[in-house]
Amino acid sequence: MMQLLTAQSVASFPVLNALIIVPVVGALVVVLLPNSRPELMRPVGAIFAAIAGAFSLYVMAEFSVQDPGFQLQSIQSWIPSLGINWHVGVDGISLWLVVLTGLITPIVLIAVDPHHDPKPYTAWLLLLQAGSFGAFLALDLFLFFVMFEIVLVPMYMLIGGWGYDDRRYAATKFFLYTMAGSALMLVAIISVATLSSGGQDITFNVIELAQRQALSTNTARLCFLAFVLAFVIKVPVVPVHTWLPDAHTQAPTAGSVVLAAVMLKLGTYGLLRFGLYLFPEASVWAAPTLATLGVIGVIYGAIVATMQKDLKRLVAYSSVAHMGFIVLGIFAFTTQSLEGGVLQMINHGLSTGALFLMVGMLYERRKTRAISELSGIQSAAPIFAGFFTVAMLSSIGVPGLNGFVGEFLVLIGSYETRRWWTVIAATGVILAALYLLWAYQRVFHGEPTADDEKTADLSLKEGLVLTPFLVGIVFLGVYPKPLLERIEPAVNNLISHLEDHSDYVQPDPGAPVVVERDHGSKDDH
Amino acid sequence: MEITTGWYLVLGAMLFVIGGTGLLIRRNPLVMLMCVELMLNGVNLSFVAMAQQLDDIGGQTVVFFVLVVAAAEVVVGLGLVVAILRRQPGATADDLSALKG
Amino acid sequence: MGSLQLVGFVGPSVNWWALLPQIILLGAALAVLLVSALAPQRASTVFTTVTTLCAALTSFVVALGLWSDVKADGPSSSIASAFGVDGFSIFFTVLILIGLATTALLSHGYLDREEMDPPEFHALLLCSAAGAIVMASANDLIVMFLGLEALSIGIYVMIAMHHRRSEARESAIKYFVLGAFSSAFLLYGIALTYGATGSTNLVHIRSYLDAVVFQDQHLLMAAMALLLVGLSFKVAAAPFHFWAPDVYQGAPSPVTGWMASIAKAAGFAALLRIFFAAFASHDVDWAPIVGALAVITLVIGSVMAILQTDIKRMLAFSSVSHAGYVLVAVHSASATGTSAALFYLFTYTLMVLGSFAIVGAMGPDDEHPLSRYTGLGRSRPVIAIGFTVLLLAQAGIPTTSGFIAKFQVIAAAVESESYFIAGVSMVTAVIGAFMYLRIVMAMYVVDEGEEGPRPIWHWTTSVVVLAAVGFTIIVGLVPQFLIEFARDAVPVLVRG
Repeated sequence: MMQLLTAQSVASFPVLNALIIVPVVGALVVVLLPNSRPELMRPVGAIFAAIAGAFSLYVMAEFSVQDPGFQLQSIQSWIPSLGINWHVGVDGISLWLVVLTGLITPIVLIAVDPHHDPKPYTAWLLLLQAGSFGAFLALDLFLFFVMFEIVLVPMYMLIGGWGYDDRRYAATKFFLYTMAGSALMLVAIISVATLSSGGQDITFNVIELAQRQALSTNTARLCFLAFVLAFVIKVPVVPVHTWLPDAHTQAPTAGSVVLAAVMLKLGTYGLLRFGLYLFPEASVWAAPTLATLGVIGVIYGAIVATMQKDLKRLVAYSSVAHMGFIVLGIFAFTTQSLEGGVLQMINHGLSTGALFLMVGMLYERRKTRAISELSGIQSAAPIFAGFFTVAMLSSIGVPGLNGFVGEFLVLIGSYETRRWWTVIAATGVILAALYLLWAYQRVFHGEPTADDEKTADLSLKEGLVLTPFLVGIVFLGVYPKPLLERIEPAVNNLISHLEDHSDYVQPDPGAPVVVERDHGSKDDH
Repeated sequence: MEITTGWYLVLGAMLFVIGGTGLLIRRNPLVMLMCVELMLNGVNLSFVAMAQQLDDIGGQTVVFFVLVVAAAEVVVGLGLVVAILRRQPGATADDLSALKG
Repeated sequence: MGSLQLVGFVGPSVNWWALLPQIILLGAALAVLLVSALAPQRASTVFTTVTTLCAALTSFVVALGLWSDVKADGPSSSIASAFGVDGFSIFFTVLILIGLATTALLSHGYLDREEMDPPEFHALLLCSAAGAIVMASANDLIVMFLGLEALSIGIYVMIAMHHRRSEARESAIKYFVLGAFSSAFLLYGIALTYGATGSTNLVHIRSYLDAVVFQDQHLLMAAMALLLVGLSFKVAAAPFHFWAPDVYQGAPSPVTGWMASIAKAAGFAALLRIFFAAFASHDVDWAPIVGALAVITLVIGSVMAILQTDIKRMLAFSSVSHAGYVLVAVHSASATGTSAALFYLFTYTLMVLGSFAIVGAMGPDDEHPLSRYTGLGRSRPVIAIGFTVLLLAQAGIPTTSGFIAKFQVIAAAVESESYFIAGVSMVTAVIGAFMYLRIVMAMYVVDEGEEGPRPIWHWTTSVVVLAAVGFTIIVGLVPQFLIEFARDAVPVLVRG
């Protein structure tokens, strides 16, 4: 199967490598630009980020809809004596995350003015884009780990260099939490590769390791836990989420947007790609616990968000709740729930990304994010309020917008296997409406003060920057098929992989959501 | 009573331990230097005794190397002690505490 | 050293070619001293630095020649098997020569600034380097001891040479007393090994231990313990590390770099040759002790590092924890582990030399508070980014050589099924990262309008930092060549 996959996807142009390399080159170019031309930094950076974004669209175009496996693969020998290859590939699960990464970064570069030191700012954002691409595309555990860790440095620098008052604390906390999570994952990665080798040459190839399933049950469970620890911190799932509100609140707007839209997805994506795929038996074993943690996240995030006084912190906690939904969907193991989870990753990127951008814009105008100091913005800035409403409704999950499709799929899919979890999580949707609408009411309605009166409405540039988000939100809400039909084969493939390697059986797959369920895919294994 | 090799080894060990203890508890830099010498000589004695036991000349040759090294070490050590005492007459190891540790 | 040879009074054959690297260094040391003694004026810093660099370069070329010999004819040994010529010895020769050239460049600006005597300093540095090479190449415990002493005595004096600062003298006497103390332990270990195996030659010891099963191996165990204690002092492994922070802090920065890198590397060279190569058949006895030392060292090094406020003390404790990683690799007692240790030492040497280059150039050596670095990211962005790379490499962040080094260490630990130790190493890496982040934070996170320091920067320092940073990143991206070099450098004991 391995050879087959490689053979069929000999792309004429290694577009996935280009995705990673273009932003790095961009960062180098930006660094080499003369310091006397600070106004050049962001446009040049945005051009490179946009080129990478265009490549990600090209990947989307090249992507073959019905193929459940990894496409456009590219393997180069990297460190042969350790069995490490540069191996990238894309499937239905990672495809849209790649596109999201490709589009968000140029938008953020255009949208947010760092106010000082534009050169390092631009360079770090480009490196962040490269690292995120790498993490989503990596099919070699070593490469994945490198990318998973390396994205910490740009984000750390962004928070530390351009953040708000408490940035030292937030940046350090962010870095150490994530690094602590991935510390044991490195041991697990090496253990999996070593123990699976069985006397042959050691390999870090994810596809091969997933097919071999050579670990004993207990070892696999321990390794799984080490992986999961890294990912739940990144997601973040509730007991280990405390870095997120601090990081989001203190990060500059660009950092918050990329953090929410792209970096949190590394956690959920990791759970799918390296949790379920590499350790099917252990995933089934741990699923109740992790689904519970996901549900706790939904409820906890919602309750805490209700009590926030800071608008940005509120959005941060809403992230915790949304990511809890995705975790529930992942560990419900049905076609719909997994599809919903993957889709919800994109949705969350769009809606929360837009919300963070707008909170940032509001801060630029008012120099405050305290809910109590804002009121009646709607009358002063109606267009801004309108944009905010759409993003907020998407975040709540109102039908007709993208959030609804994702949450609905998660709930309906999880209901089959995790009934009570689903019931509790569904209340989280109501709570989301509560805290978001309440916050909206306090900020945008009410009696405007003199300061509020002066709040400027969206400029043309800001409107243009936000438009892609809104278009995405509405489009996916009305017509999610293009995404789902590409996600579904990969998800079904993953579920049949789970069924092959554990005693889990999907209860009545039910009617296919979009595409005819491809029963042949099971035979691929 | 016959004096066997074991006795020499025990004596060597005792010299070594006395030297080591002295180095740790004495505070006069000169005495500390002497303690180092004592330790090295304890080792020398062990080498000679074992060479005798093993009927091998190698162990006795080693002693010459060690003596030379010890001499070199003492030269440097005395130099350091003199340099310190010239600046701080009557200094003991306790006075050397500018570097907290 | 068989008695038969002695009866006939036949001197052992000497392969002078194999000894040439050390001879060149010693010759250069003598030349520097002679010229400075005979010249009508004081020898200039330029002269001594250039001489040292030329000696290092010539020596390097010879080492490469030896390397091709070893590649072609396999490892050999000389002077009655007392001096080995294998990949291991050449690996360390290359490493020590790189360290020598780097330290010579660093001290160039430093000696002028601090008004120290260049000829004496360079002569001692050259002797010290020769001693380190002897130590790494020795196949005989006594030769190893002589190399160690040559290395250490040079360092004692180099530390104390800073005559205006009492801290330097204090640091020197501390290092001297503890150095002599640990040498005595090492020597006693050698004596007991001699008693247990009948020889001080590692080749003999190895074949003896392979052939003989001890009924009572107390003597050998005691010997191993003493050797381990002695060498643990030298490499600053906990609980024998307590001298390191004081000595590192008090010593002139280039010497601190030399101690933290080359003295440590030479200590590990001896450790690997003795334990991995000669005591290989008894690895069940020593590996657990080394493992325990590794865990203690990692924990103490990383935890103590975050409590420090002085950069040099921070780096001292970080160097303690790095010794812990190398010990983890040694603990696995396998060829993989040994090559991981070698790789680690090579990359670590460059990182630490680069770091101390920056530390030394930042200002006078009295103290190095963290505040000295505040805002460096703004006032000197290139230096700051270089330092950041070196610090992140020490923290083990990917795309730096430090990550590849840690990866191999963990892989070696996993391969020998020491999962606990592997886990501890990774967790302490996170604790240690906090300390590196504090420095990075100080450089970059500044309040509006704060101005950073503008240190006076000698061009030789730039060369060193540039080389160290470049090496760190290149090895982080394409480590294959160095991994192969380290694999070929696993020590081999052969009769000459």
